[in-house]
Amino acid sequence: MIAGNIYGVVLNDRPQLAQMADAFAMPPYKAPPQAPVLYLKTRNCLMTRADGIALDADLTEVEIAATLGLMFGGAATKVSSANALDCVASVCLALDISEPESSYYRPAVRQRCRDGFLPLGQPGSFDRNLFGADIITSVNGAKVHAWSPQRLACDAATLIADISSFMTLAAGDLLLIGLPHDAPHAKRGDQVHIRCTGLAPLAIRFQSATTA
Amino acid sequence: MKRARIAHKGSAVWADLVKNDTVLRLGNGETLPVATAHWLPPVTPGASIFALGLNYADHVKELGFKTKEPPLVFLKGANTLVGHQGETARPTDANQMHPECELVAVIGTPARNVRAEDALRHVGGYAIACDYAIREYLENYYRPNLRVKNRDATTPLGPWIVEAGDIPDPQNLALRTFVNGQRVQDGSTADMVLDVAGLIAYLSQTMTLLPGDMILTGTPQGVHFCAAGDEVICEIEGIGRLANRLVAELAP
Repeated sequence: MIAGNIYGVVLNDRPQLAQMADAFAMPPYKAPPQAPVLYLKTRNCLMTRADGIALDADLTEVEIAATLGLMFGGAATKVSSANALDCVASVCLALDISEPESSYYRPAVRQRCRDGFLPLGQPGSFDRNLFGADIITSVNGAKVHAWSPQRLACDAATLIADISSFMTLAAGDLLLIGLPHDAPHAKRGDQVHIRCTGLAPLAIRFQSATTA
Repeated sequence: MKRARIAHKGSAVWADLVKNDTVLRLGNGETLPVATAHWLPPVTPGASIFALGLNYADHVKELGFKTKEPPLVFLKGANTLVGHQGETARPTDANQMHPECELVAVIGTPARNVRAEDALRHVGGYAIACDYAIREYLENYYRPNLRVKNRDATTPLGPWIVEAGDIPDPQNLALRTFVNGQRVQDGSTADMVLDVAGLIAYLSQTMTLLPGDMILTGTPQGVHFCAAGDEVICEIEGIGRLANRLVAELAP
């Protein structure tokens, strides 16, 4: 379903930035972030298994951060925020799974890019009203988290413009627009359901068994 | 055997180097002299591209770091790659832009939870990358951050992939970088902190490496700041010479 690169952004949640303001001045950061703080998800994150997502033996629980994935239909290179969303062809729900990690100093490849760590919902037409909708996460039938992209410090159009000032977001790429810092956790055997009005819901489960 | 990816009659195609690396032979039997080739990065679309920071003891010392444990792994998008004899844009304010010659291991067969002693069996071939860095764009968030390492066409890669069987010991290869003919890096893959086999074992602990995935294994010492117009050649023994030219980035 995804032909290109998959990018995500951290430290784009306004309450988190307020909480971390003091930490940004301290080592190892020493200064607040200037450019968007980006990461990539590798193609093995899209590997799916009929019996659910298998957690490696070294993990007891994972962070499950529900967000929106913007799929590019045209290339964004040095675009303005006014034109940025013209490059977006469709949108899907995404569950960005990671090993909980509090440091943002080094790229979190091992934490973020395990097999199956990016379930995606069916893509739908892009509609900017989605940025005002609630993204709701339920675990085993109980609602555990809700947030809205209105919390983003840098909205999607500004984010695309900022990223495209130094690299191209190409047709076929996917951009995860930000993560809630208070994302819930899940463990083996959990069933996770994500919904957002206007988009196809996303349901996944974690295998009960510990893999070798 | 060496395999290249070239633009030919409107298609991106793979081609084998034959006749002492002077001729490219396509799958359909067509041939063309290498002198006329339009080289593309020899990458499988969709491949994951891993890169290593601080993976040579001498370079770690040069930059004033302690050797990091665990390995410093970062990722690159396909937009970063550019083929042999390509051009890389140097931003006007990038006064600390420097080339980094790196051995690239290309995965040949899927690898998950492989032991280091078995890992080289999963390598399909080797190539050369020049992983340019721009030090003034470094920030201490997911460092090295994407503004430094994920710019379009800032990672020349190629010129081709040499089959793994032709590189019996990937940990005993000389690597050198020349800028306008001046040697600015001169190292050996023997000085890697974590060798190719160790890197594959480490990565495969938590993820499935798939055929075509690439691991840029880090660079030895020799930080040399470049200017627009510089010709940069990265050379690795047994693989070849990868040429690139820096050009001034167009004003916005």
